[in-house]
Amino acid sequence: MTNHVSRRSFLKSAAGTTALVLSISSTPSVLATDTDNSGNVTPCLRFTEDGQIFVCVPIPDMGQGMITTAAQIIAEELDLDPNQTSIEMMAFQGHADAEGRASEGPMPQGAGGSLSTMMVWGPLRHTAAYARDLFLHAAAIRWSVPLNHLETRNGAVYNKNTKVSLPYKYLVSDTRRADYTVLRGNTTPKAAKDRTLIGRDQRNVHALAIATGQPIFGIDSDIPDMKHAVIRRCPHLNGSLVSYDRDALLALPGVKHVIEIARRPDDLSRPRILPAGLAIIADSFWQAKKAADMAEIEWDGSRAAGESSAALKARMAEHLETGEVADSKEGGDLAKAMAEADKVIEATYYHPHWAHACMEPHNCIADVKADSAEIWTSHQSITESINAAAAATDLPISKITSNVMRCGTGLGRKYAPDFVMEACILSKAIGAPVKVTWTREDEMEQDHVNPSAMYRMRAAVDAKGRLTGWHVRTAADGWIRNAAMEPPMGLVDNYRGEWGYIENNVRRGPWRGPQHNTAAWVIQGFLNEVAIAAGKDPLDFLLDLYSRKDFQKLDTWPFPLLEYERFRKILKAVAKDARYGRRMPDGWGQGIAIYHTFSGTCAHVVEIEMIGDTDYRVHKVTSAIDCGLAVNPLGVRAQVEGGINDGLSAAKYGNFRFEDGVPVTNNFDSYQMMRIGEAPPEINVRIMDFGDEDPRGTGEVALPPLIPALTNAIFAASGKRVRTLPISENL
Amino acid sequence: MTTVTFKINGKAASFSGDGDMPLLWHLREDAGLKGTKFGCGIGQCGACTVHINGEAARSCSVPMAALDGTSITTIEGLADGERLHAVQEAWIKEDVAQCGYCQAGQIMAAAAFLKDNPNPTDDDIDSGIDNLCRCGSYYRIRKAIKLAAQNLAGA
Ligand code: FES
Ligand code: FES
Repeated sequence: MTNHVSRRSFLKSAAGTTALVLSISSTPSVLATDTDNSGNVTPCLRFTEDGQIFVCVPIPDMGQGMITTAAQIIAEELDLDPNQTSIEMMAFQGHADAEGRASEGPMPQGAGGSLSTMMVWGPLRHTAAYARDLFLHAAAIRWSVPLNHLETRNGAVYNKNTKVSLPYKYLVSDTRRADYTVLRGNTTPKAAKDRTLIGRDQRNVHALAIATGQPIFGIDSDIPDMKHAVIRRCPHLNGSLVSYDRDALLALPGVKHVIEIARRPDDLSRPRILPAGLAIIADSFWQAKKAADMAEIEWDGSRAAGESSAALKARMAEHLETGEVADSKEGGDLAKAMAEADKVIEATYYHPHWAHACMEPHNCIADVKADSAEIWTSHQSITESINAAAAATDLPISKITSNVMRCGTGLGRKYAPDFVMEACILSKAIGAPVKVTWTREDEMEQDHVNPSAMYRMRAAVDAKGRLTGWHVRTAADGWIRNAAMEPPMGLVDNYRGEWGYIENNVRRGPWRGPQHNTAAWVIQGFLNEVAIAAGKDPLDFLLDLYSRKDFQKLDTWPFPLLEYERFRKILKAVAKDARYGRRMPDGWGQGIAIYHTFSGTCAHVVEIEMIGDTDYRVHKVTSAIDCGLAVNPLGVRAQVEGGINDGLSAAKYGNFRFEDGVPVTNNFDSYQMMRIGEAPPEINVRIMDFGDEDPRGTGEVALPPLIPALTNAIFAASGKRVRTLPISENL
Repeated sequence: MTTVTFKINGKAASFSGDGDMPLLWHLREDAGLKGTKFGCGIGQCGACTVHINGEAARSCSVPMAALDGTSITTIEGLADGERLHAVQEAWIKEDVAQCGYCQAGQIMAAAAFLKDNPNPTDDDIDSGIDNLCRCGSYYRIRKAIKLAAQNLAGA
């Protein structure tokens, strides 16, 4: 990343007032000159003389709290109330790479990898600190006082001697005179001890807009003269359009156009980027939907014919026996460890596909003209939304404007290009703006599901009940290697991890906590079995394991350095908070598990009560998370609570099924999800304080360890070991 | 062609058109009230919850033809002018929303629920509210419902 410091420019409004505009800075260093008169400054902050302060948020908010965190960070440096800022999304500020694709500028503009807060943390603080210093210097010049007589308070510069304060808005014009060279080297964000907002609970700055139904989501956008498209997409996992009756469709009320969308790529042997489809374009969504429902379309689904969830599961079982190993990892002498073991424990685990079920169905408005295009959408990545529009229109990225709105969840699926491409293709075809709205059925049938896998687990323990050997063999239909590549490998000397890949026509993709969301279950669930078989308490067994080393650098993405002293402290904290190990009534049980996801680590104790033999109620979850510096503890707790409930839902019900090459789970009747009636009424979250100066990941960290903590609790309560998900069908 | 007259958020309104069209799309596209959300279209998720004659209803599953003479309240009409409804206030106070997409429906469902259950137990909530929240904000929804109940009782 090249050094990118903040630049300022000044905009004149029609009323003759000035606005100070600052671009984002990703480093505290300075340029020789910071004033840009070209008018090309992409705003990060905008101050107007009528007192408005606009925060342009660089990364979309899909529920992870990015907008609130951005406002909070900016407000801290400028001594403002976060609710006094106005929120906008930052325009794309990257550039075209050698192939003409949009690539990230001073910082990434997509949400993923639980990185959002980590990414904006430095740049937003530096940018806001620079703004603050411009105001301070402008006031110093106006009042002819030394800088050190001044400070900022409540959105104003305050003179400590005269006790006079001047709100920023009166200094907007004066910041032209502020001399950046005077500030050189002095612009530093506040020290931790001086902070009044960061590290404290900050409510969602969109809370009022949400509670009153303001149109802030992508699906709420409208532009003049737009048409509505509903698309019938190939219902087969892989296939193409054969025939349909165009005239019959055009005769239906409100229908204006019927347009074929070709599968991309057209080579059916490659994973679909865009499904084959037939778009019905009408004056209203309902007319388009009604016509689409009536369309009689013949598809060629032969390529995926005969594929089913059950057959794929059988292939996985077979692959575990005889299949090829695509990647492996080995250490020590596993055969010897197994031969010398006091006990060898074996088990087979399996999880099906999970659908994303993004709460806001995918949508995009595109207005494609001959030499430019503009889109309005809920997308996880501003950058990738532009690439999607460019791919569909063949326009250079410099001619594309993307307006990314608040996303009604993203969960990994809203990173994909398909819904943006569809809108662009259709708008280009009819020469008018088009809004594409997916139905729930579209969203599930065309999902990029969490991969499915089966695992053969084997462990050796010695006479003292210590783990001495570890063997994982995986047959997966995705690049989910973590279960076969991560600790306890390295904590035990003798290990082997094998990953086998099974191709099929289901489209797989990232789902909240990719890889970890299931690896954590397999590893922490099996460790629990091994502990119990070895006659150990599961907590003691984990503490022994994580006492064997202090650090371990992983070779799986994003290559974290695990700090096991933290693991031990997290486990002890959560055990204490949950009173883990206390006597429980008959039919009740506690389960414990810990996992690292991206750069964060989380542990849970789940308490359940069996309801008969095949159901259970989760009464309480106690959690401890290490997310580095918690910028917004209230938001961190929300992410942990959400991760818990998402994990409970996926574990109990998540099961995307297909038969004869066609998805058969396609709405909330056939794809069940947990509601409040099964959600734990008590959740206690402890945010670990290890004195970190920077935040780590949060959004995806709580979900992975929740599932093994749950299945371990079910075992404690009932003696039944869940090794096949979903639980609702396997208890 | 169906013609019906009704009230939306206290104002007289009428509709002439396809009587099969669900109320949801009339609200979002004709009336410009985008607060009511589309989530499933089959009455399963509750994102589209509004009040019809004071009772919670899933607007994706109510055809326009059934609305003659009714009075409809949407999330935009829940507050009394500038004064937020107790449920909206509780939602803000408890910081319930994550992505926020489901929350208009949750708030409308909770507001109707509290009329019949002014002092709800956990069991009442478990059986009386079944709106989906994909962000899993259930823990705070439960707290906010209880807070709203308290505030309504004290009002
Ligand atoms: S959209 Fe009406 S219940 Fe889901
Ligand atoms: S807050 Fe996101 S779906 Fe409920």
